Amino acid sequence: MIRDITIGQYLPGKSFLHKMDPRAKILWTLAYVIVIFLCKNFWSLGLMVVAAVGMLLLSRVPLRMMWKSLKPLVPILLFTGVLNLFYSKTGTVLWTWKFLTITDRGVYTGAFMVIRILSLVSVSALLTYTTTPTALTDGIERLLSPLKIFKIPVQSLAMMMTLALRFIPTLIEEIDRIMSAQKARGADLESGGFLKRAKALLPILIPLFVSAFRRAYDLAFAMECRCYQGGDGRTRMKQMKLGARDFVGLALLALLIAGVILLNRFFVPLL
Amino acid sequence: MAVLELRNLTHCYGEKTANRVVAVNHVSLRIEPGELLGVIGHTGSGKSTLIQHFNGLLKPTAGEVLLDGENIHKDKQTLRASRFRVGLCFQYPEYQLFEETVRRDIAFGPTNMNLPPEEIEGRVVRAAQFVGLSDELLEKSPFDLSGGEKRRAAIAGVMAMEPEILVLDEPTAGLDPRGREKILQMIADYRRQTGSTVILVSHSMEDIARLATRALVMRHGEAVLCGTVDEVFSHGEELFSMGLDVPAVTKVFLALKQKGVPVRTDIYTNEQGQAEILRLLRREGRA
Repeated sequence: MIRDITIGQYLPGKSFLHKMDPRAKILWTLAYVIVIFLCKNFWSLGLMVVAAVGMLLLSRVPLRMMWKSLKPLVPILLFTGVLNLFYSKTGTVLWTWKFLTITDRGVYTGAFMVIRILSLVSVSALLTYTTTPTALTDGIERLLSPLKIFKIPVQSLAMMMTLALRFIPTLIEEIDRIMSAQKARGADLESGGFLKRAKALLPILIPLFVSAFRRAYDLAFAMECRCYQGGDGRTRMKQMKLGARDFVGLALLALLIAGVILLNRFFVPLL
Repeated sequence: MAVLELRNLTHCYGEKTANRVVAVNHVSLRIEPGELLGVIGHTGSGKSTLIQHFNGLLKPTAGEVLLDGENIHKDKQTLRASRFRVGLCFQYPEYQLFEETVRRDIAFGPTNMNLPPEEIEGRVVRAAQFVGLSDELLEKSPFDLSGGEKRRAAIAGVMAMEPEILVLDEPTAGLDPRGREKILQMIADYRRQTGSTVILVSHSMEDIARLATRALVMRHGEAVLCGTVDEVFSHGEELFSMGLDVPAVTKVFLALKQKGVPVRTDIYTNEQGQAEILRLLRREGRA
């Protein structure tokens, strides 16, 4: 069960999206997330969905993988959809029962919200599917590098992020191992009330923390042995360069934003 | 009658996915009460997967595990009982220590068995005696112990459940020679005094030769050799081809034989080697 986590999962590939510079991709995703909240009607939202589908095609990520990252969202989507369905009190009444009413506006709002969340998550998932964690942190580091003026240690922050990502699978493996060891001593993790279960987690959490600290010390020593002294002046093995592909991508982004603004203007806002 | 029996046990990781790996492939095995079975195999040969079936931590993809003739996956109670009847001690068990004191950590298993407090206390004391932890150490935090002491405390945590079958996965890995010696002595004493069945996974042919009554050799998830220690080590060539070894002392006698010295080659422990050399010298009238 623990192995099913898909956060930060990278799918190797050679598609257009895979080859794009991580900085361009991060900008794209960030802009997409902001712009989707500026959509005011189905027309502009539709344009965003078209953009998301386009990206999915460009990335060549199989639909099955996409579904895997969307599956955990189903309860949230249902909750949002159903809540919005009953929430709206204006518009034509379609159905009513005691204190519950559904209006056409409610249906629209519900659908709008669900589509919005779906495209939002799909696009962010595409970013992690097509970008290795190291490229991602490198990109973030470069994008944040102007903050160095304010004495923010961007390089160290990026290094911390890289390391954190690197250790997720290691720690998952460790949890598996500790769980098996404690189960072998008769630890019961599956039955009992909330309090009992929370208490049953202690024999797993304590060894996990101890080993996480041990690994952190070991890693710090290993880094020092290789003369790591913090970020300044470090050169990189992979130089990032914006290419034609990235400018095309950014131009499309500009078009998308312009399109959303226009569609918002010309059609009646929904909300 | 066999106390533990595996029938055609197969285990696959990632069943129904693209990266399906068969870790254990049709292994059948009968373990008799009181014996000490040594399990030998290369890293990735399926030893660790195999032993996790003995107490039901892993469920076989095919085949069954019988404890006293009863399938351990029959129902929840049988499964839970098998956890206590077969004590499994993982590799590097010191990473499972978590309590405030060593005493409480050793008591974790017995407490989970819902035993009365006096019984728990008795078991903790007995287990601590087996592994040679003093009363003073019992009151310390497990994180303040030395590496070897931690290892012994963790093994005591499994022994305290007083299982009928004790399974140890590489209990001497990463210890210095003295630490190893202590652990091996402890296992031998434990078996002699309690009469329990012991299954020992090890990389060290010397350890297996010294302690085991029977040995099982695993390769690519299959049980390729199984028999008495003599039988298994007499397949020297096969073991070499699997990237495994025979005890160092055996190699000496094999080399002597090749040089034309009339020695026996079924020598697996230093004591046997000593006796054989003395026999040879006596025959030549030099001792």
